[in-house]
Amino acid sequence: MDPLQIGQSRPRGDAAAKVAGREPYAADAYPDNRLWARAVRPGVPSGRIVGLACDAALAVPGVVKVLRAGDVPGSNRQGIVHKDMPVLADDRVRCCADAVALVLAESPAAAAAGAAAVAVEIEPLPGVYDLDAALAEAAHLVHADRPGNLLARATIRKGDGADPLARCDVVVEGTFTTPVQAHAFLETESGVARLQPDGTLWMQVSTQSPFRDRFEIGHALSIPYDRIHIEAPCLGGGFGGKDGATVQCLLGLAALHADGRPVKMVWDREESFVAGYKRHACRLHYRLGARRDGTLQALHARIWYDTGAYAHLGAEVMELGMEHAAGPYRIPHALIEGWCVHTHNPTAGAMRAFGVCQVSFAFESMMDLLAQRLGMDPLALRTANALVRGDTNCAGIHLETSTGIKACLAQVARHPLWREREIWRRQAPPFKRRGVGLAAVFNAAGYGGGVRDAAIAKIEMDPTGHFIVHNAVSDMGQGNSSAFMQMAGHLLGQTADRLRIRQPDTRTAYPSGSSSAGRTTYTFGRALTFACETLKSRLLNRAGLMLFLQDDDDLVLEPDRVRHIPTDRSVTLAQLGAMMSAEERVCLGQFVAPTCKPVPDTATGFFIGFPHVIFSYSAHLARVEIDTLSGVVQVTNYLAVTDGGHVINPAMFHQQIQGGVAQGIGYALYEDFITHHGRVRTEDFTTYIIPGALDLPEIVSVACVEETEATGPFGMKGIGEVAMNGPLPAIANGVADAGMGRICRAPLTPERVLDNGVRAPATAQLQK
Amino acid sequence: MRPVLFPTTLAALFDIVEHQPDARLMAGGTDLLVRLRQGPADRRPLICLERMARLNGITTENNTVIIGAATPLSAIIADPLVQRHCPLLARAAATVGGPAIRNMATLGGNICTASPAGDTLPPLYLLDARLDLAAAHATRQVPIAAFITGPGRTDLRSGELLTAIRIPMAERFGLQHFEKVGRRNALAIAVASLAALIRLTPGGRVAEARLAWGSVGPCVVRCSEAEARLTGRRLTSETLRAAGAAARAAVTPIDDIRATTAYRRDLVANLPLRLGAAT
Ligand SMILES: Cc1cc2nc3c(=O)[nH]c(=O)nc-3n(C[C@H](O)[C@H](O)[C@H](O)COP(=O)(O)OP(=O)(O)OC[C@H]3O[C@@H](n4cnc5c(N)ncnc54)[C@H](O)[C@@H]3O)c2cc1C
Repeated sequence: MDPLQIGQSRPRGDAAAKVAGREPYAADAYPDNRLWARAVRPGVPSGRIVGLACDAALAVPGVVKVLRAGDVPGSNRQGIVHKDMPVLADDRVRCCADAVALVLAESPAAAAAGAAAVAVEIEPLPGVYDLDAALAEAAHLVHADRPGNLLARATIRKGDGADPLARCDVVVEGTFTTPVQAHAFLETESGVARLQPDGTLWMQVSTQSPFRDRFEIGHALSIPYDRIHIEAPCLGGGFGGKDGATVQCLLGLAALHADGRPVKMVWDREESFVAGYKRHACRLHYRLGARRDGTLQALHARIWYDTGAYAHLGAEVMELGMEHAAGPYRIPHALIEGWCVHTHNPTAGAMRAFGVCQVSFAFESMMDLLAQRLGMDPLALRTANALVRGDTNCAGIHLETSTGIKACLAQVARHPLWREREIWRRQAPPFKRRGVGLAAVFNAAGYGGGVRDAAIAKIEMDPTGHFIVHNAVSDMGQGNSSAFMQMAGHLLGQTADRLRIRQPDTRTAYPSGSSSAGRTTYTFGRALTFACETLKSRLLNRAGLMLFLQDDDDLVLEPDRVRHIPTDRSVTLAQLGAMMSAEERVCLGQFVAPTCKPVPDTATGFFIGFPHVIFSYSAHLARVEIDTLSGVVQVTNYLAVTDGGHVINPAMFHQQIQGGVAQGIGYALYEDFITHHGRVRTEDFTTYIIPGALDLPEIVSVACVEETEATGPFGMKGIGEVAMNGPLPAIANGVADAGMGRICRAPLTPERVLDNGVRAPATAQLQK
Repeated sequence: MRPVLFPTTLAALFDIVEHQPDARLMAGGTDLLVRLRQGPADRRPLICLERMARLNGITTENNTVIIGAATPLSAIIADPLVQRHCPLLARAAATVGGPAIRNMATLGGNICTASPAGDTLPPLYLLDARLDLAAAHATRQVPIAAFITGPGRTDLRSGELLTAIRIPMAERFGLQHFEKVGRRNALAIAVASLAALIRLTPGGRVAEARLAWGSVGPCVVRCSEAEARLTGRRLTSETLRAAGAAARAAVTPIDDIRATTAYRRDLVANLPLRLGAAT
């Protein structure tokens, strides 16, 4: 076995355990003597609670307690930035997910029966269920203290804003809408909690943000954060849906009332669909102006995000979307306006490509409209306007970090899937039309301005000379812990079997932020490199001591030993482990991600998270075949060329890209989380359609490594999100290229494709 | 916990039915268990059909293919007799769910569920399938079209069991076509489907056409007017369009979360066009 090395495709560290079903997830925890907690969610999207009777529920055999708002000791409000979401609603209900009571019972069946027996009386109130209703004059307010139903209203203005549009040779215009998307992870929201004898609230939970959860739980339940102990085992998927409290506050509340017994909560799929956070539905109106030669001149984008009933990260999602609203292009003048709008729909929050995949649909559709209007090749138009290092992006940020979109586009241009597209198109079988669509996309990494984006990594050598990486950023399946093992193995010269990973534990690891924002491997990984280097030099030093050498020269760290090259004498790691004290065997490393200074004055109305300085870039190509009898779209081939800096593990890199593209194809063609008057209509996977194996093409992923990212560990940057942004616009552009018209409303269902291609005129028109 | 019983003979089964008249029959359970998950937490027993040898397997007799009601779809799809004499049924059965579902789901279950979107139903209508029904002291035979009386409704009487499906080996139809349009390529409920059996004269004209649409009405829609538009003609796009237009007028699709009425009607009219490319 060779030592682990950066740049090699090594099997994931968790592969064997996961394939064998041994990896413990939070949903798998069944502590002895447990109680089960179940929320009572009346399902009324807007109303006032006028009665809540629990007697019948308490009479159900097996029901132990029924808790209500009055039983919540703290503020009873959760939320990451804005604390506005009740743990248990006390007076008003604002969406169908609102819980009014929490049943503790001896079994899941008793908990369910108890929940059904709680008698809730709710006086319905008026509600707003779409953007127009919420923004109408004198609209009913979701929150009395948020006038106009606006959670946030922000603007980015660069150059002369939208004014230069009047002087452009050509202007194209379009209005786009995007659906709500569900994370649809395998493991639903779940966890166990217990109040320990010493008063600590212990919790093992499926979470992307173990350290921050302490503050959210602590605020809601009035517990000092240092009395909250969170463990975050591997997640069965997160995609942003477990960033922030899901079961945490309910579980904490249950544990406070469980007389020291452990409490378990697992949402079933239906509850997850109702109560889990979702991707924001958006409406986008774009006007893009250019010179006759295709040089982009000005953009006016107006973007509305339906953020649902509570804030969660709604404003931050919108802000990130706005920061990306003009695409990876050089545009001298831009006015980008955003409205983050409350409705009584289920709460929208974080999801992979956080606000960006919505704008990607708009700007990449606009680029094709412009190319068509100018009679230009869509790839040439993109290449001519692509950002390069040293440019200023649409948010006014001077790009000083790696900027690889041009190189990605060049790789697409050379690829047979692009070069041989005309022949392929002409070979369409009867009743099929073929088209090829492109998308150039980007995605910021990190939290952005105003938020500390930092990590503290810990590596330990145990007394037997084996290494433990104390991961502090959850692994939701993306493979960051495997990347950390690979980094540690590389730096310490160790083989995979000498390394173990411990998943986040707030008692033994150190605050390192959430697993999100393309920052997980980047930020913690960089901190880990420092920790590993410190440990390495310490091991050499102690070996030198044991070998009575005059200095540490010519010592090398090898698997299982430190060797002195000139004499070939060595000390085993087990000997070192036995000699060193516990505190000597542990090293920490810290890293703070780069920030933008000075912040340009382009943005107003932004709260936190602006601007970003590191972006990954990607150029995508989709070949689509449309059945003209049914409107069914099949993606037959897919190419994603991605600039993620240096690649740590090619296999895992490609898996991330392929997964992101698959999820993006779902967003483009299938996934549509439908509500009617605030009630969920797609209640489970019978009607919420995600793509299966037969719906996905072979997804060719190419890493474009013209530039490495100097600030990242080994030159890498995060690529977990960027792939999500390409499929919708690439497929929509492919459908238009096939002569089926331009579709501006996602997902591109067969019905919409057939209507659009055969009957209705395109919704986006050309001006001038 | 509900009792789960595994009779192996008809006599044993009817004995259970007599003593526990509220028991439910379960074949593959792929419909029933989904319903029970939502449904009442009652304790009505389940009578499983999977160990009833008589209900499982495929034979022929008197120019008839006989399929045991509890035969899983995957066995039907792979069966040489079915492939030879009723490939249309095999083709439709292959579109049900995914591999795991087809290993459990039975033909009898698909029929007794009587869903408008039941994928084996349009072929069974076109193939003139007849059903063997047995009760403790009586048996009867009914044509499939008479057995299915509405969405989720059948003529199954209490205490009765579907034992077999009989499919006459009809004259060979040179063109056998099944197409289902769903919201994805597998594990998809039909938005609309078309089954067609067409026999051509040596001169290329339609000697006999049988057409049935699924998922566009309370039951399978077999449209004689559409069939008449094809008979005696060649399968040109004009004649197929005319047949599609006749069918469009004959169907009564619903509007639901999967598709609108208008789209389903479009599919009904469009799908026959594919028959032109198949010849
Ligand atoms: C994920 C999934 C995907 C699916 N996809 C499709 C699809 O694409 N197309 C499709 O048509 N269906 C689909 N179905 C529905 C289902 O799989 C089929 O209808 C299947 O054929 C039912 O057969 P079964 O043996 O599982 O029936 P069961 O669930 O066992 O029974 C269904 C009903 O029929 C009764 N019954 C069964 N056998 C007999 C009998 N011999 N005599 C009397 N009554 C009987 C039962 O009492 C019950 O009421 C899907 C189901 C699932 C869960």
